[in-house]
Amino acid sequence: MTLLEDTLTLYKREMLIFKSHLRTNIIRSAMFPIIFIFFFGSLGSSSTNIHVAVVNYAGNPQSLSFINSLTTSRAISITSVTTQTDALNQLSGSTVTAVIVILPSFPKPSSGNPAVDVYYSTSNFAAVQTILPLIQQEAASAGSTVNVNQQPSATSLRPLYGTASNYVVFLVGGIISMTVAFGMTFGTGMSIITDRQLGNLKSFLISPISKNAIVFSKILAGMTEAMLYIAITLLIGMADGVGIAMGFVGLAWIFIIGGLVAVCFAGISVILASRIEKVEVYTIVAQVIVMPLWFLSGAFFPTTAFPSIMQPIVAVDPLTYATQGIRNVMMLGYYPLQAIALDMGVLLSVAAALLIGSVLLFKNYTA
Amino acid sequence: MTKKFGDFTAVNNVSFSIEAGKIYGILGPNGAGKTTMISLILGIEKPTSGRILVDGLDNIKHKSEVKQLIGFMTQETIVDSDLTAYENLEIGAKLYHISQGEAKAAIERALEESELTEFKDKPAGTFSGGMKRRLYLVKSMLHDPKVLILDEPTTGLDVHNRVGMWKHIRELNGNGVTIILTTQYLEEAEELCNEISVMDHGKIIASGTPSELKRMVSKGQVVEIITNKESAQKIMRVLQHEFKLSPMVKDDKIEAYLESNSVALFARILGRLIKEKLPLVSISMHLPTMDDVFIKLTGSSLRDSVGENKSDRDRIMLQRH
Repeated sequence: MTLLEDTLTLYKREMLIFKSHLRTNIIRSAMFPIIFIFFFGSLGSSSTNIHVAVVNYAGNPQSLSFINSLTTSRAISITSVTTQTDALNQLSGSTVTAVIVILPSFPKPSSGNPAVDVYYSTSNFAAVQTILPLIQQEAASAGSTVNVNQQPSATSLRPLYGTASNYVVFLVGGIISMTVAFGMTFGTGMSIITDRQLGNLKSFLISPISKNAIVFSKILAGMTEAMLYIAITLLIGMADGVGIAMGFVGLAWIFIIGGLVAVCFAGISVILASRIEKVEVYTIVAQVIVMPLWFLSGAFFPTTAFPSIMQPIVAVDPLTYATQGIRNVMMLGYYPLQAIALDMGVLLSVAAALLIGSVLLFKNYTA
Repeated sequence: MTKKFGDFTAVNNVSFSIEAGKIYGILGPNGAGKTTMISLILGIEKPTSGRILVDGLDNIKHKSEVKQLIGFMTQETIVDSDLTAYENLEIGAKLYHISQGEAKAAIERALEESELTEFKDKPAGTFSGGMKRRLYLVKSMLHDPKVLILDEPTTGLDVHNRVGMWKHIRELNGNGVTIILTTQYLEEAEELCNEISVMDHGKIIASGTPSELKRMVSKGQVVEIITNKESAQKIMRVLQHEFKLSPMVKDDKIEAYLESNSVALFARILGRLIKEKLPLVSISMHLPTMDDVFIKLTGSSLRDSVGENKSDRDRIMLQRH
């Protein structure tokens, strides 16, 4: 078990170094979440932009002014749909969060029932809670009442931007992926390059330890640091009122997903750092790789918003799955088996491939 | 052994052996192949052809055994500045698989030897250059290697630390450690080494004891006379006319090269100067210096080529070649 012992020896060294810069590390890793969550997160608070399909069977001036009053509120984005069936299809396909059906008798009740029917799916309940009072209020001022119907949960397993009750929650998922990915590329990768410059790598290579222990210890240390970054991001999110819909199980999932992201990006860092000798070059190459991956993962807005030309990259980007997974547990409140299989499948295979790649590439490495 | 990097041959068909318990010096201008040779001995680089035996073991086939036999110290001081002296040694001990119990004793001993016991819980980054250097040396020696390789061990040290380092190297050697050292300082090689090899262009161009090397360069000796300024010219004339020498004068110092029969000639010069009642502060005779040997063997042109080492940071990177 010398490989394990050697790995733990070097891991201890990494941790001692990390500990000696603990304050700097915490401040550095808190910086981005603070800026993004408090500054950009609040950008969305006034424009939740929830997609709603409206079927107007009345077509009278009262119904048009009712729709108009809903549109003036920035919280709702309205799509007009001609039939109720189409609208409900859109709801089950998660294209919209809710369906408003205006019955022909609007604003008068239709055979004793309210003249406005609202449909929503169970998976989007959180979002509906914020728009329902608005609909009821506007309907009331038009002289009508609202009938609320719950539909079975939507077929799409992914929370879209707009289905969240709060943009900040949406953002936090993306920020967690980001802090981990960036922490690894600029922490782990940089530490390999400085270790080489300062000669530490040479002293490891002349000692009887295995080269793999160097790679494993860097990745293991990266994972540990990632856990701290995730905790910091979550704490900052909580300070801004973000919760995890799935509770403690969700918390565990976030750490598992974050850990896998850490392995992926620590792996990328090892591969790059074993080929690149200059910090300057490494920084450029790492940015060129990590920035697009992060941006296309849908950290800021849903991946469906990207043009189709970018969708293949979105589909192979491990961060996409990490971000989606975290959003499932934070926003939906449940993590469907299908989604777990996809996210974990992608993340585990990418992590394994990068781990093997980093070990193989580091084999030819001479300090 | 031979080591090629692409078209470039860094070490060209070199073969030598080092007797156990000796101090062996490798001299050579920049780019001569010293560092590559050391990397080969350490097993960081694999030779293109040839092999290296350490204590009878092939350093590639018996990698981990050989690594346990060798200690290494570069010209850069490799200690983790974020870690305390104790932590540095602790990690160092673990890298060489020293058992927990033994490690503790070894670390205590190392701290004492390096006179760092009272600073053991201070981060190494706060240490002075000399302290770091001492810490690095004892760290390199923690696993009790039979061979210690020193790559320019005193480069950049002040006189006190340099002399201290020499003392330490001699002590280690006295305890039976074989030492291989490269150096830029010729007086250091002369002071410490039992045997010296001069390398250039990847080959060993001469080897032997310091005095053998000097005799190789010239059969003669140098006489050095120190007097006062007024008498210097007089002495110069005596040496020129009566002994047919071509002395060089610098203020109160006269140097002349005695090509043959130098001991007898020295006695005659001494007798003549005493007879003339010329004031002598000192008169001595010695072999040519290592500087003369070095220049004679490798030529006097400067080897720092421009273009391959753009900055200090590059130089660190280039250490691997």
